[in-house]
Amino acid sequence: MIEVRQLVKVFDARGQVVRAVDDVSTQVAKGEVLVVIGPSGSGKSTFLRCLNGLETLDSGSVSIDGLDLSHPKTDVNAYRREVGMVFQHFNLFPHMSVLDNLCLAQQVVRKLSRADSEAKARALLEKVGIAQKAHEFPSRLSGGQQQRVAIARALAMEPKVMLFDEPTSALDPEMVGEVLDVMKTLALEGMTMVCVTHEMGFAREVADRVLFFDHGKLLEDAAPAQFFSQPQDPRAQAFLRQVL
Amino acid sequence: MAKQKKAQWPWHLLTGVILLGLAGSLWFAASLISYEWHWNRLPQYFAYQAEVQQRADDYGQVAALTAHGALTEVTLRSSAAVEQLLTVDSDSLQLAVGDDVAEGDVLGVTRHWAAGPLVWGLLTTLWISLAAGALALVIGLLTGLCRLSSNPTLRDLSTVYVELVRGTPLLVQIFIFYFFIGTVLNLSREFAGVAALALFTGAYVAEIVRAGVQSVVKGQAEAARSLGLNGLQAMRYVVLPQAFKRVLPALAGQFISLVKDTSLVSVIAITELTKSGREAITTSFSTFEIWFCVAALYLLINLPLSQIARRLERRLAQSD
Repeated sequence: MIEVRQLVKVFDARGQVVRAVDDVSTQVAKGEVLVVIGPSGSGKSTFLRCLNGLETLDSGSVSIDGLDLSHPKTDVNAYRREVGMVFQHFNLFPHMSVLDNLCLAQQVVRKLSRADSEAKARALLEKVGIAQKAHEFPSRLSGGQQQRVAIARALAMEPKVMLFDEPTSALDPEMVGEVLDVMKTLALEGMTMVCVTHEMGFAREVADRVLFFDHGKLLEDAAPAQFFSQPQDPRAQAFLRQVL
Repeated sequence: MAKQKKAQWPWHLLTGVILLGLAGSLWFAASLISYEWHWNRLPQYFAYQAEVQQRADDYGQVAALTAHGALTEVTLRSSAAVEQLLTVDSDSLQLAVGDDVAEGDVLGVTRHWAAGPLVWGLLTTLWISLAAGALALVIGLLTGLCRLSSNPTLRDLSTVYVELVRGTPLLVQIFIFYFFIGTVLNLSREFAGVAALALFTGAYVAEIVRAGVQSVVKGQAEAARSLGLNGLQAMRYVVLPQAFKRVLPALAGQFISLVKDTSLVSVIAITELTKSGREAITTSFSTFEIWFCVAALYLLINLPLSQIARRLERRLAQSD
């Protein structure tokens, strides 16, 4: 479903060239859940952002169901409609109610009527367990609730793939569970997911494959059972010793 | 909170006392100079009884006078036996039945209330402010976005515009617009005046817009883009509404400035409030009264303007 070929992303910070993503190739099958882990600065977030074009690719290609992001004729907005993204800091639109946060893109991008988009929004809010907050502003919600709204907002566009960029890192510990529960439900329903996260428990329990990144390179790609018990790469071994 | 909130009213009372004291000392100082205050001369500059002269069309005689209260109907019969009916105010009637009239003779006047120069000046100031303000908002929005564009030419052009306009005095710009651009393009003085004000204010609005957009964190645009909105849609639905909320106080200040800056177009002979005031002084000699009055009329526009801005700010703050 997702096909990544020799992806390279270079950052040029005052003459200092950093290869944030260095020649990464992989593919994700439909319904697969990938967890991307690695130390900070390893390029895992940049890799994720390349998957929906928030970062421009320097070379290589990314495609979803044959739609090639790097092809000059590809409409990047049409491409992004297929890919939902959840951010570390939720990035809800603070000037809109929760309901409007979910309806905006449906109405503007998918051209749905207000009634249709609202019905969809309410169903999704029900699903993530915050239907009663539909008319609140995001600032009135806890972090965990905000992140669940953000997940619902992305789902409202009916994406083929969901990307999660450290979705629980900005949360108070007691709220991590409610967000992970929503993600687990999604995974069980067969959603194709790529998650950058530090939640090793989630990786172990839900992931089909774990990708380990360091210095922009994809060093290890294995099933969670194998990755956590017998990591092959020495840097992965060192990383696991620190976090487990 | 354990700390009890202290009553505010004694301080407001003190404010009142201070203001009254200042007004009193001003009053005292004014009484020391030899100036005759004539506030009673002011009302005629707001509204007055305009007189319209009623004239005979032809040579003839007054055939009849019929009084209807304060008005009198005059019937004229010309030598060719053509009748003309005229209505004049009774107290201005200068004829009796049988009098001869010549063509163009004034038989009397009718009077009606008319708006005085200060009212016309106020209206002119209002429409110039509104027209220039609306234009400035459009210019400022476009220029502000150009300043943030990824296209170097758009960025350069908008920067040149902003720097040129901010670096030269508005008065000089108005002269240039009227005497140079106005002559070249054959513009009316009103057009030149409004254009100069709009371009001047637009440059400041552009900087306000730019600052506002930059203050919205990058993640907002990214979230919008990740949902499939294009750049313009993300700007319109997500970034600009948040930016607008933040820059509202600065924008309100800019538009209040604009209202006051319209006084400068009096130099190209547009009779707005300030010029009306100057003209009123030449006929009334009540310099002090007129200027106080003109100042009060500017306040009459600007105080509601800041009130509206404050209200809008409070309404937008709901989502905080």
